[in-house]
Amino acid sequence: MARTIVCDGNEAAAWGVALSRPDMVAVYPITPQSSLAEYISQFVADGIIQADLMDVEGEHSVLSVLQGACLAGARTFTATCGQGLAFMFEPYFRTPPLRLPIVMSIVTRDGITPQCVWGGQQDAMTVREAGWVHMYCENNQEILDTVIMAYRIAEHRDVMLPVNVNHDGNYLSYGVEKVEIPDQEEVDAFLGEKNTNWHAALDPDRPMGVDPLTGGAGGLGPALFVRYRKGLCKGMQNALGVITEVHKEWEKTSGRSYAPLIEEYRLEDADYAIMTIGSMTGAGKDAVDAAREAGERIGLVKIKTFRPFPLQALREALRKVKAVGVVDRSVSFGWNFGPVYQELLSAMYFLNRHIPAVSFIGGLAGADITVDHFNRVIETTAMALHGEVFSEPVWLNENDQSPGSDRVSQ
Amino acid sequence: MGKSYPTIAFYPDRCDGCNQCVEACAEFHSGTRNPAHSRIKVSQDGEEGAFFLALCRQCGEPRCVPSCPAGALKKDIDTGVVSLDESKCVSCQLCTLACPYGGITYNPITHQVMKCDFCDGDPVCVKACPRGALELKTGSDIYNGWGDLEDLFVPGISACQGCNSELLIRHTLRRIGPNTVVATPPGCIPGVGAVGFNGVTATKTPIFHPLLTNTAAMLAGIRRYYNRIGRDVTMLAFAGDGGTADVGFQSLSGAAERGEQMIYICVDNEGYMNTGVQRSSTTPYGAWTSTTPVGTVLRGKSRDAKPMALLMVMHNCEYVATACMTFMEDYYAKLEKAVEAAKRGMAYIHVFSPCPTGWRFPPSKLIEVGRKAVETNMVPLWEYEAEARCIDFTHPVEDPLPVKAYLSLIGKYNHLDEEQVAHIQRKTDERIETLKKFTREGDVKPIQDAA
Repeated sequence: MARTIVCDGNEAAAWGVALSRPDMVAVYPITPQSSLAEYISQFVADGIIQADLMDVEGEHSVLSVLQGACLAGARTFTATCGQGLAFMFEPYFRTPPLRLPIVMSIVTRDGITPQCVWGGQQDAMTVREAGWVHMYCENNQEILDTVIMAYRIAEHRDVMLPVNVNHDGNYLSYGVEKVEIPDQEEVDAFLGEKNTNWHAALDPDRPMGVDPLTGGAGGLGPALFVRYRKGLCKGMQNALGVITEVHKEWEKTSGRSYAPLIEEYRLEDADYAIMTIGSMTGAGKDAVDAAREAGERIGLVKIKTFRPFPLQALREALRKVKAVGVVDRSVSFGWNFGPVYQELLSAMYFLNRHIPAVSFIGGLAGADITVDHFNRVIETTAMALHGEVFSEPVWLNENDQSPGSDRVSQ
Repeated sequence: MGKSYPTIAFYPDRCDGCNQCVEACAEFHSGTRNPAHSRIKVSQDGEEGAFFLALCRQCGEPRCVPSCPAGALKKDIDTGVVSLDESKCVSCQLCTLACPYGGITYNPITHQVMKCDFCDGDPVCVKACPRGALELKTGSDIYNGWGDLEDLFVPGISACQGCNSELLIRHTLRRIGPNTVVATPPGCIPGVGAVGFNGVTATKTPIFHPLLTNTAAMLAGIRRYYNRIGRDVTMLAFAGDGGTADVGFQSLSGAAERGEQMIYICVDNEGYMNTGVQRSSTTPYGAWTSTTPVGTVLRGKSRDAKPMALLMVMHNCEYVATACMTFMEDYYAKLEKAVEAAKRGMAYIHVFSPCPTGWRFPPSKLIEVGRKAVETNMVPLWEYEAEARCIDFTHPVEDPLPVKAYLSLIGKYNHLDEEQVAHIQRKTDERIETLKKFTREGDVKPIQDAA
C-alpha cells in the first residue's frame, strides 16, 4: 500500500530516487541541496537504496563517476545546484551528447556574486542550452513523482538524454508538505528494465572506442559531427512526446495528474495571463483566484518542461489571451530580462502570435514572491493589455523592506 | 615483435683479467684448460688499460654466415645461437675476417675455427667468473613472452617518430589484455588516434576519452559498476602529466583516497606536447617550453617539477612506481605488481616519457635519453608497495653521471647557463637524498606515520 508521510522537498526527491532503484548515487554537499545528499546517503546506509554510494571529492567528479558507471550500464542519480553546478559544468555539458540517461536534481540556487546561499533559478537557467531535459516542480509530491518519471523519459530509446528535475531551493528543499510514497511494485512495473548503454558502452564484451575525435576541416568528420548534433536535437524533440506519454502513464499508475509541458490555469475565458515556473506558481494561482473574484479575466500558464521548449503546447495557451506577464527567478544578462520571458518572445515569433508581454524578475537570492507581488504582476500585465508598453523588466523585490532593516532602503 | 635471445653481458670494470672464464671454456669444450681451445678471449688495452672481450655476439644478422663458402654456419631461430657445423667447415677462415668482434677464432691445435656455442644455454664462462664481470641476460625471455601476447594497438598510427607513448602503450596493452577499459584524456595518445578519428578506433579494447580533468573519476565509476555486477574488468589510464599533475589532480587525488581499483599510468612528457609544448607542473626547472620561453629576460622554467609520484605515495595507493621505457624489464616487473595491486586499490606508475618532437632531440636518441636520465639520477627508478610502506630503488645508481650528460642531449636545455645547470645538479642530488629517507635504510619511516 502506498503510504503518506510529511517531508520536505529534498526528502521527497530522495524517496523518488529510492523507488527508482539506481545502481549508483554520487553525493557532494552544497546548500540548499545538502540534506538531499544526506537523505540519499542515509537511505544507502539503511539499505533503503541498494546502490553504490560514491562519496566523492567534488561535483566535477560526481558527474564523472556517474558517466563512467552509466557507460558500463548503471542507472544513476545525483543532485547539485549553484556553484556545484558551475563546477560540474565541464562533464555536465558533455552528458547529453554522450546520450547518457543520468537523472540529476537541481535544487535551484541563485548565482554568486554577491555571495548568496539562497534560492533562485539562475543556476538551472544558465545551463539551459547544454542539452539536458529540464523539468521544474511545483510541490514536493511533484518532485517525488517527477524523479521517477525522469528515468522513464531519460532511458526512452527515442530520447536517451539526461534529465534535470529542478525544485526551488529553500521553498521546496526545506518546505514540508504531505507526500504520498507509492508502492515499490508499482514503480518497478512503471519503470521496467533499465536501459542506459545500448548505444555506447565501455564493456570488453562489446569493445568500442567511445567518443573518438570527430570533425575537422574536411572528409567525413564535419558531416558526422552534424549527424551527432542533429541526433541530439531529435532526442530533444522526441522528448516532448515521451514526457507527455510518461505523465499519462504515471497518472494511470499513481492516480496523480500533472501537466507534462505547460499547465493552463483558468485560461478558458481569460483576456490575459501570467506565466510562472516552479514553486512560485502556488502564490500565482492564489493571486489569480483573488483577481477572478474581483472580476478580472485572468489566467495562469505554468512552465513545467523548459527543455525541450514546449513551443507547440504554448500555441493554444497564447491563442486564448491578449497579453502575458512572465515571472522569472533569474536574469538573462545582456538581454537584461528574465530568460523565460525572452524565450516567450521567440515562441511568439514562431507561432505568429504577437501580443504585449511584460518581464518580471523576482525571488532572487531567496526572496519571497508573495500574493502581493503577484497582485502587482497582474495589475501591470493588465496595463500592458490596455496598451501601455514596458521596455524594461519589473524587479519585484526591488523595494521590499522588512521591519527594522531601513539601511536597505537608504 | 621480432624474437630476441639471451646474451652474455660483459662489465669491463669488474674484470681483473684472471682468465678463469677462458680456462672454463677450454675445459668444457676440449677437456683441457689450455686457452688455445677457448671460444672466449680476454685482452687488455696496454698494461694498465681496460679489459675487453672477444666473444661471439650471436648476432641477429651475422656477417659470418654469408661469408662461409661451405655453408657451415647458420643462425638457429629457436635458440638464437650461430652454430658451426664442423663436418662442413673447410677451415678457410673467411668467417674470422667477416666477424667484427673477433668472435670466431682459429684453433692452432685442431686447425679448425671455433666459436661460442652458448654451452646449451648455460654458459660455463659466466659461472666461472669470480667477479661477476660476465652475466647471462635472460630478459629476452620476458620480451618473447610479451611478444607472444596480442598487440591490442593497431599498426600505422600517426605518432611522431621515436614516440615513447606508442612504445609504452603497445607493451602495456599486451600484458593487461583485452578484458580492460582504457581511458586516455585529451593529449598525444588520443591525438595519434588511440580512441579514434571519425568513427574508427586504433585500440582493440574498449577505450574512451575522459575529460582532461576526470580520468580517475570516470574509471572509478566504471569499475564500481563492474564490481557490483560481479565482473572483474581492469581499469587502465594513460594520462599525460597535465591530466595528472595539473588539471586532473583533484579527481586523481580523490580516487586514490577512496581506494578506487585501477592502474593509472602517468605518461610524463613534462608538458603539453600535444598542444604545442607548453609548460606543466612537471616541466623541469630550466626547460624551454612555448610558455616558459627563452629570451633576454626569461631563461626557461623558473620552478622545479612537482614530485608527482611521491605525492601519490602519500595518497594511500596500493602501489606507486616510477619507470622509464629504456629499462623495459624494470617496467615489466612493475606492471606485474601494478596488475596485482589494482585488485586492491590504486596502482600508480609514473612513466618518464621523453618526447623527441617537443624536447628537441633526434628520434633515434629516445632510448639513450632515457638511459642518461636514469644514470644521472634525474629520473630515479623506484617503487613503493603498500605492505612494505617504504620506497625501494629498483635501479640504484651508485655513481651517477653529472646531469650535464643528460641535459646536453636535449634541445630544450640548450640555453642553460652554468648557474642553471648547477641548480639542476643540486636539486637532483637533493631529490635522491629525500627519496633515500623513505627507503628501508632511511631515517623517516614508516611512510604513513610520517605523513
